[in-house]
This record gives sequence, structure tokens and C-alpha cells, in this order.
Amino acid sequence: MLVRDYMTKHPLMVQPTMSIVDAQRFMGENNIRHLPIVGDGKRLLGLVTRQTLLVDPGRLGSLDVWEITRCLAGLTVQDVMVKAEHVIIVEQNATIEEAARIMVEKKIGCLLVVDDGVVTGVITEIDLLARLMEMMAARVPGVRVTVRQPNVSGELAKLVGAIAAQGWGIRALGGTPTPKDPSKWDVVVKVSNVPKDEIVAALRKVDGQEVVDVREV
Amino acid sequence: MMTEMGALTQPSRWQKIWDSLSILWQSKVAVAGLILVLFWTLTAIFAPVVTQHEPNVEDAQARNEGPSAGHWLGTDHKGRDLWSRVAYGGRIVLVKWPVTESFWIPGGVAIWGVLIALAVGCTLGLLSGYYGGWVGEVVMRILDAMMAFPTILLYLIIIAAMGASATNVVIAITIAGSPGIARLVRGLALDIRTRDYIAAAETRGEPGLWMMFLEVLPNARGPIIIDAMLRVGYAIFSIGTLGFLGLGLPPPNPDWGSMVQAGHHHIFTNPWGVVWPTVAISSLVVGLSLLADGLREESLRYQ
Amino acid sequence: MSTELEWITEVDDHRIKTPVLQVEDVAISYETRKGDVPAVRDVSFDILRGEAHSIVGESGCGKSTVAFGIVNFLGRNGRIVNGRILFQGQDLVGRPQEELRRIRGDRIAMVYQDPMQALNPSMRLGDQMSEVLIVHRGMEKKAAEEKCLEMLNRVYMPDAANVMRRYPHQISGGQQQRVVIAMALLNDPALLIMDEPTTALDVTVEAVVLDLIAELQRVFDTAIMYISHNLGVVARVSTKVGVMYAGEIVERATVKDVYLRPYHPYTQGLMRCVPRLGMDKRSSFLYPIPGRVPSPANLPPGCVFEPRCDYSREECRLKRPALRAIEPRHWVRCHFAEEVAQMGWEPPEEVLADLATPAEFDRTAEPILKVSRAKTYYEAPSKKLLSREKLYVKAVDDVSIEVIKGETLGIVGESGCGKSTLVKTVIGMEKPTAGEFEFMGVDISTPVSKRDLSIIRELQMVFQNPDSTLNPSFTVGMQIGRALRRFKTVPKDHVRAEVMRLLNMMKLGELYYDRLPRQLSGGEKQRVGIARAIAARPELVLCDEPVSALDVSVQAAVLNLLMEIQAELGTTMIFIAHDLSVVRFFCDHIAVMYLGQIAEIGLAEAIYSPPYHPYTEALLSAVPIPDPSVEQKSIRLSGNVPSALNPPSGCRFHTRCPRKLGDVCETAAPPCQHMTDEHRIHCHIPLEELREMEMVVSIAG
Repeated sequence: MLVRDYMTKHPLMVQPTMSIVDAQRFMGENNIRHLPIVGDGKRLLGLVTRQTLLVDPGRLGSLDVWEITRCLAGLTVQDVMVKAEHVIIVEQNATIEEAARIMVEKKIGCLLVVDDGVVTGVITEIDLLARLMEMMAARVPGVRVTVRQPNVSGELAKLVGAIAAQGWGIRALGGTPTPKDPSKWDVVVKVSNVPKDEIVAALRKVDGQEVVDVREV
Repeated sequence: MMTEMGALTQPSRWQKIWDSLSILWQSKVAVAGLILVLFWTLTAIFAPVVTQHEPNVEDAQARNEGPSAGHWLGTDHKGRDLWSRVAYGGRIVLVKWPVTESFWIPGGVAIWGVLIALAVGCTLGLLSGYYGGWVGEVVMRILDAMMAFPTILLYLIIIAAMGASATNVVIAITIAGSPGIARLVRGLALDIRTRDYIAAAETRGEPGLWMMFLEVLPNARGPIIIDAMLRVGYAIFSIGTLGFLGLGLPPPNPDWGSMVQAGHHHIFTNPWGVVWPTVAISSLVVGLSLLADGLREESLRYQ
Repeated sequence: MSTELEWITEVDDHRIKTPVLQVEDVAISYETRKGDVPAVRDVSFDILRGEAHSIVGESGCGKSTVAFGIVNFLGRNGRIVNGRILFQGQDLVGRPQEELRRIRGDRIAMVYQDPMQALNPSMRLGDQMSEVLIVHRGMEKKAAEEKCLEMLNRVYMPDAANVMRRYPHQISGGQQQRVVIAMALLNDPALLIMDEPTTALDVTVEAVVLDLIAELQRVFDTAIMYISHNLGVVARVSTKVGVMYAGEIVERATVKDVYLRPYHPYTQGLMRCVPRLGMDKRSSFLYPIPGRVPSPANLPPGCVFEPRCDYSREECRLKRPALRAIEPRHWVRCHFAEEVAQMGWEPPEEVLADLATPAEFDRTAEPILKVSRAKTYYEAPSKKLLSREKLYVKAVDDVSIEVIKGETLGIVGESGCGKSTLVKTVIGMEKPTAGEFEFMGVDISTPVSKRDLSIIRELQMVFQNPDSTLNPSFTVGMQIGRALRRFKTVPKDHVRAEVMRLLNMMKLGELYYDRLPRQLSGGEKQRVGIARAIAARPELVLCDEPVSALDVSVQAAVLNLLMEIQAELGTTMIFIAHDLSVVRFFCDHIAVMYLGQIAEIGLAEAIYSPPYHPYTEALLSAVPIPDPSVEQKSIRLSGNVPSALNPPSGCRFHTRCPRKLGDVCETAAPPCQHMTDEHRIHCHIPLEELREMEMVVSIAG
């Protein structure tokens, strides 16, 4: 569950001498929002996003029409890019939750994966959501049960033990604090190839826990 | 199928010769060399036609003259026509070899010398390269010892010992040239010996002479021919040197080396006597090496 | 189980598979004296991220030119005249050299056939590997070396730390190729171009390298463009394949589609002329493609394959077909691909007429050649200056074979196993150290120069390399005629007529009489070599890898020709090859050699089915099979063939044997176990256990 396992390797990147007009077209053609600018040896020099490519109107205000064209034609990505030291990055040996934390805190959807200054990949929110999807076994048919239990250690073991006692396998398991109630904990379990009623019956027997949601997917 | 049939029709003999010559025209260097060599060869062959004067006639009225309409390249200190002497001087190296006083055969001293050196060198080189073994080693060590002598010293020793004559010059060229050729042929033979067609001939039980001269030698011909051309150039150079040192062909027959020798006493009053034979020697040698270089380049490109 | 597998492979689905490389309508020409020669025309394909895409084709079809075009290594006289090459979205055509050099160094790597082309012979391997990182990435020397070591371990280099301190010539060819692959991956390239990287390697080593490539592709998510002439290798490494012919891609699809349901007549033809492992000459035929590849300077105006196509029509002659999608993700360059697919294929009559029924031989007949306990040692120069002790390379060590009149004995084994030396000793080019050699009742342990001409003429040889088998200075007629004159096969005034007859028999035609070898193609040269060998009408022809250097379509024709000769003249043959499918197809008996000794010998079908010698088993599981539906056990040999200078004690195979029993293998020479009278296996493993082995190759489903 490390970034290096789930990032997209070999991202598209360009050299600093590319003009911003070309860069804009390049990002459009390839449908990307983040474009790393690299030098020799794929060393990160900076990052260009759609926003950085928008030219600051204040800069253009003082120019006349002819000067604007010339100014735009002469601009290269290295003139407008976010410099490497300000680019938010993650290392490929970081955990994916670490990547998620950075993305949530900085409110960005995409992180460059950089090691020793060399660009090795990108990881996006989609990559992380895909992980969430797989962790919850979204594409595997089965019964998905949400159990609300006290936020005390040992409760999860009781739940797992009850399932194991029946000889069933757990396809997916995840937990999160119950919204607006810090003393409780919501756990989602997914079990395949078992009738819904049997599962519910078995889980109801677990002491002090409550089945709040059952659905067959 | 039609294209294949077209490709299969046999070219005529002339077409084949033309094709093999066409490699020459591809290289500008080779063409330049060929023009130089042909110029001197044709001049030497047609010397009586292209000159106005006899080479040995002295004109006391016109000594040490510069180029003029009467004497195209001027005259030497005895009033002999320089153009005529230069043209006739080419004969001995390129066109005729006076084996004895009265008997001569076509092909000049330089050419015959190299041809005989080729025959000797190829035989020795093939023996040691194809057969190998201790005989080959001994032959090569002796030839190595000979190659350790500076060539010009070898010439001087041979000519000094045997006297100056055209035949002795040929012998000198042979002795000085064959070790180098033998070494070249040996190297080529060592390589060619490993080819499958040699093994195929061996499995037919072919005799040694056949193996050496028909299986190995023809496939070494390219580098040998190019080497021989360069050697003709060196031989001409060496003959010039011998002539300059007074060991060349006996006077009064014109010889480029002796012309330089005779002219250099008067170099301040009449530089032409030295300039023209020098130009002749160097342009011919340069022509030969250009030709060899161009051919080598082109033949390599074909592979 | 199967649903679970699917589930796992779909995990990456959400990621848009963007093409790493898009080649669009690329045309490449070489400038020559005779004007521009188009080497590649209208080539389009794309390679997705982390995908292995092969380009397969016969020699001279332009597959390497495409690769060189991508990295702009076309040389002085080559240039891209048309098209775009998009690498990660950016067009590489017409970019300044400096930029291309940077992209190449950082994001595209190339591996060639000859690893020594990429390695500097005068530098230690560790130094030249870390130099890549120090120069390109500005890494510290120490860190760079650590990274290199890690990468060498990644490619399973045995004793990696030690290898770092060695020079390239001190490690074997397979290991050199591993170093080159490790070096190529150091910069973590997005695209790895491999140009026949395993062609020079032995099949067992090749199998290991191919496994490695497949694994690295997964781990590094690197797109691979794999160039090969070998259909079997392509089937093993790649998911998609483009078939090239005469500078054009004629068919492109997934490996499965191309191999099992080819649409283009050329692809179909190719599939028919490679022997599959298990085919033999008595139950099946190889159908060579008639004609030859057109020269790039002289292409037909319509479809490039039209002159050789069985389905050719008027339209094919006039109009060039475009590469069109016949099915989703299956492209074909043929006007009538749908019809061709429906029509099915019947061998044309002229082809059928050429197919000879293979010669039968009398199994109970007396052997024509008996070799017993043969030893051929070469003296090796002693490493110690003053040592009196002599060292010997034991190229052939205690080999016994018998060849029955009219049969074909195949000899297989890795390079350096002594198969060539054995044959050379029989023909008299090497002097045997010991052993008895009897041919037609005559002792032939003497070198060829001491043999009688009547024996020499009965033993002839066909060589491997078509380019050196003929003397370049003499015409075809003279070379064949020489053999006739030498052995006085026919009276002098009949020589020319006899040469013509032989040329016709070789299907060359009389016009070839006056041609020089350089005017012939590889297959034609090989035919002349065969004609020269059989000119004397020998009893026994020794074929030393006669088809190894030929393209598959030519190989089929030459094999058919050899079969025809055998049927017509009753010639006995010894056939050396490293391609196990070809040997299985062509030979009656097969001997498997390892390090100068025979590991297993027997009838062809017995060798290719259990019980196996463990070495045979490993060889069979390493053969690349051009059929994606075949299941093959994966048995990989570690290490290299040990030196014949100092062979391992006991069973020579024990250092690499995956079924090694224990000490007995290291100490005692293996006993000769007879399965049947003809089938012997030299191994310590008891017969019963050997009988229980499973089939290595089986058809799935």
C-alpha cells in the first residue's frame, strides 16, 4: 500500500524551453492538468498547471496589441511554472494514506512523485479512489453489512470472530468513526457467496453491536 | 516473376568490365589519381610523338633557359630540352625494362619490380599463412628481420653490391618489397583460412597448391592490388632517390632522379632543371596513392 | 479461480492507457548511389504504457530501421521522409539533436543483439553502469554504485557485487545481455526498444532472459518494443504484434489473433512454414512461400506481397492496399482479407508437386557409420609459464553413435556442447584423440589429407553460414563443377550438363551457372552449397546448422529440398541444429549432447516425450513455440555451460540439473539406461522415476 505501487509511472513531461502556447496545446491534446517540467535526467524543475498558464492580466495591461503577441510568443514554460521548491510532492515510498493526507490538506487532486529530485510518477485522487473502491471490493458481488460498535478495542475482533466461526471469508473490511458520535465506530464488512439472512442472523448475535445497514451488491 | 527473369539475363563481357571499372568513377579521388597516372603513362609511351626535341641533343645556344615556345619547360645546363627529358624519363619506370643492354621488355622497372615482389611475397605469405607451422614461422621471422632494415638502405646495399643497372634495380625492388607483401598476404590468409569455403575445399581433399592459389589468393586480391599500387609509387620514389645519389640508371639516358641530381648544382641559376623532374616524380607518386586510396574507400563502401 | 484472476487484472482499468509511442505513417529512405531507396513505408502502430509490442519480420523487412528511426540513429544516409513519431505526446521528427539526445538518454533505452555493442570493453562493468547515473542524474559515486548493485540483483545477476568489478569479456554472453538490460533500466525509461536481444543466446539462456524481460516490464511499467524474426519468441514476450514485410506493416493485432486467426496471406504463409514442436516430416509438410522478398529499390506497384501471393488478382497488381481495421483491434493490409479468410488454403499444385515423401529407411540395416568411444581433445595453452602439465579442452569425450543407411541423425545441444567438433572429427578436419571411427567398413580415424579419394567423396558437408560457404571469387558453375571434376563423378565433357542438372534439382535454374555468390540471396547460396556437397553423390552428408542463418520461409524450402534429395538419392544425413522444432521435424534419430557427451539418444518421437533426460526436459521447456495455445512447463536452468577445459565430475550436468539426486551425481559417471533398444538415457535417476515425468509441451484446452 505504498505510493510506488499505485502511482502512474512515466508521466508525460516536457522540457523547460517549450513555449506556453505549445504547452497549452500539449495539455489539451493529452487531457492532463499537471505538466512537470524536467531537465537532464528527468530532474524536476517546475510544474505547470492550467492556472499557471493563464497570463496575469495585470502584466498585459501596460502593453499594446503588438507587444502582447510578441510577449505571448516569447514566453516559455520556465517563465510561468511553479518552481520545483514550491511544488508539492510525495516520495514513492510514502504510504497512500500519507499521499491522501497531503492532497486533502493542500486541497489538490494530483501529486508528483519525486525521489532525489527525479520525477518517477504521478498519483491522482482517482488512483486513491480506485484503492478505496478495491478495498471495499466494490466490484465483487456479495452482502455488504454496516455494523455500529462501541469505539473500544476488542470489538472488531468480536465481529470478525463471529464471521470466522461460521467459516465464511471476508472479502472487504473497513471502519471509520461514526459521524457525529465519537464513541461509536462504523464497520463495513463484505462477505460473498452467503445468503443475506444468514449473515444478518449471525451478526445480530454479536453482543453490544448493531447492524445499521445491509445490502446485497 | 517477370522482374526476376529480367534480373537473370546475363550481362555481356564488356558490360562486366565496365561494371568493375564503374567503381573507379564513383570516387573523385580515384579519378584524379587515374588522370595523373594515365598522363604520365601516355606521355612516356608516346614520348617521341609529344616532344619536339631529342632528349639527349645538346643545344649550346640555349642553356639554362626558362619555359618558352621553343622549349616548353625550358632547358637544362647543357641546353637539353627538359620536357623531352622528363617525358622520356618516365619510360624506364613505367614502360620499358631494358633487361640487358640490347633486350627490353614492355612494362617499366618499377612495375616489373613490384610484380616480381608480388609473386615472391604472395607465395611466402600463403605458405606461412595457410600452412602455418614452424616453416611458416621461420619464413616470417627471416622476412621480419629484412623489414627491420630501412628500405632505402636495403636498396643502397643491393645496388652498391651488384652495380647500377635496370635489372639490378628490379632485383632491389623485389627484395625490398616482398617481405611487406608476404606479411600482408599472411594476415589475409590467416583470416580467409577460417571461412567455410576453405573447409569445403578441404573436405574435398584438394591439394595444397590449389588451396593456396585458387581458394585463398583470389579472395585476398583487393587489398593486394591496392597495396601493389602504393608499392609502385614507393618504387618510383626510391628509383628517384637512387638516381639522385648517382646509383640510378647509367647516363646519358634521361632518368628523373639523375636529372634532379644534375640540376641541383645550378639550382640558383636555373631552378627549372630541378623543378620539373621533381614535379614528375611527386605527381606520379601522388597519383598512384590517390588511385589506391580511392579504390580502397570505394571497395570498403561496397561491403 | 478464474474469476479471481480476472478481478485482479482489472484493477488498473480506471487508468487511461495512454500510448507511450505513436508511430504514424512513417516512411524512411536511405540515400544510395542509385537514388533514394525506401526502406520503410507507411508504418503506423502505437504502444501503450507498460505494454510489450513486437515487430516481427524476415531479414531486410525494415524492422530495425523503424527502431533506428525512433531513436534517430539512421546514420548519415538515412532520413525520415514522412510521418510523425509521437513519444509521450511529443513529435520526435525534426527535433534538434540536443533535445533528442536528452529524451533518448532519459526516457528511451535500447538493447541490441550484441551486448558488446553497448559495453565498453576497457571499463569495469560497475564503473560504466554507475557512469550513467553520475552523468545523467548527477548522483554521488557511492549512491550510484549502490543503485547499480540493486539493479543487477533485480535482473538476477548471480554474484552481482563481484560482477561490478569485472570487465565485460569476463562474463558470459547471457550475463552481458543482463548487464545491458540492467543498464537500460537504470534511468527508468518509459520505452525500451529491444532489437533481437536474445538471438545470439542459447535457447536455455534465452528462456531465462525472456522471463526476465516479462517480469521487468510488469515491475517497471515500461513499454517495450520488441523486434525479432523468431515467431516463437514473439509469442512468449508480447501481447501485440505487427508483422512487417518489405518495409510495410501487413498485419497488426494481439498475438493470439495473429497466430491463430491470421488474415493476411503473408502471415498465413509464415505460420505454415515454421515447424511446430512435435511436427515430423512423415505426418506433416512445411509449405515455403514461393518467390523472394522484393528489393526495396524495386517494389511492385500494387501490393508488395502480390508477386508471391496465392490469391493475387488484377486489383492487387494495380492498387496498393491500405492498412485497415478488419475487426476491432485487428488491422490488415490486404484488399481481400475477408475473402481470403473464408476461402481457406489449399496448397497450389506446383507446391504439392515439389513436396517429396520422406525417405524410408531400413531400421534393421547395418549402420553405415559407427563411432565408438570417440574423444577429441584440443590442447589448451597452459596458463602457467613453466608448467609441464598439459591442459585439454575435452570437446568430445566418450561419444558413441551409429547411423543407419538412409536415415537422418539429429544432434542438438547448447553451443559448446561439442556437436560441431564431433562432425568435424568424422569428416577428418579434426584429429581424434581416441576412439574407433568406421565408415562403410573403412577406418576413418585419419585426417582428411590422409584419406583415400574414394572415401573422401562419400563424406561431404553442408555449412552453416551462407555468406562464407561459397568462394566469392568463382561462379556458381565453377564451384559445383570443381567437385565433379575432382571426384570424376561424370566424364569431363559432361560436367557442364551435370552442373545444370544439379542446379535444376536445386530449383535454381540454369541461368545461375554464371553467377557470382554475391549476386545470390542467402537461401540461394545455401542451395548451391548443398549442390556442391551432393555433386559427388556421397553416401553421408553432414549438415552443420544448414538452416540456422536463413529466414523461416527460406528455411522451409531448404528443408524440403534436403528431404527431396534424401528421397531421391537415399543419402544418409547427420543434421546439427539448435532449433529443436526443426530437428524434431527433420530427423529420425536424435542425440542430445551436453558438454562433449551424449545425454540421451533415441528415435525422435521418443526424445520429445517422457521419459526425458533432465537436460532434454529443460531444453524442451525453453524452446519458444510460435503458438499461443500451447502450454509449456517452465523449467529454467541456472548458470552457464561449464568450461570443457575442466568439466564437472560425475555427471557433467549436475551443476545445473534441476532434478539432481545428491552426491551420487557429483561423484559417479551416470549409467547408460536403455528405455528401449534404441533409446538410451545417461542419468542416475531410476528408470521408473523417469517414466513418471510429465509431458513438457501440451496443447491447452
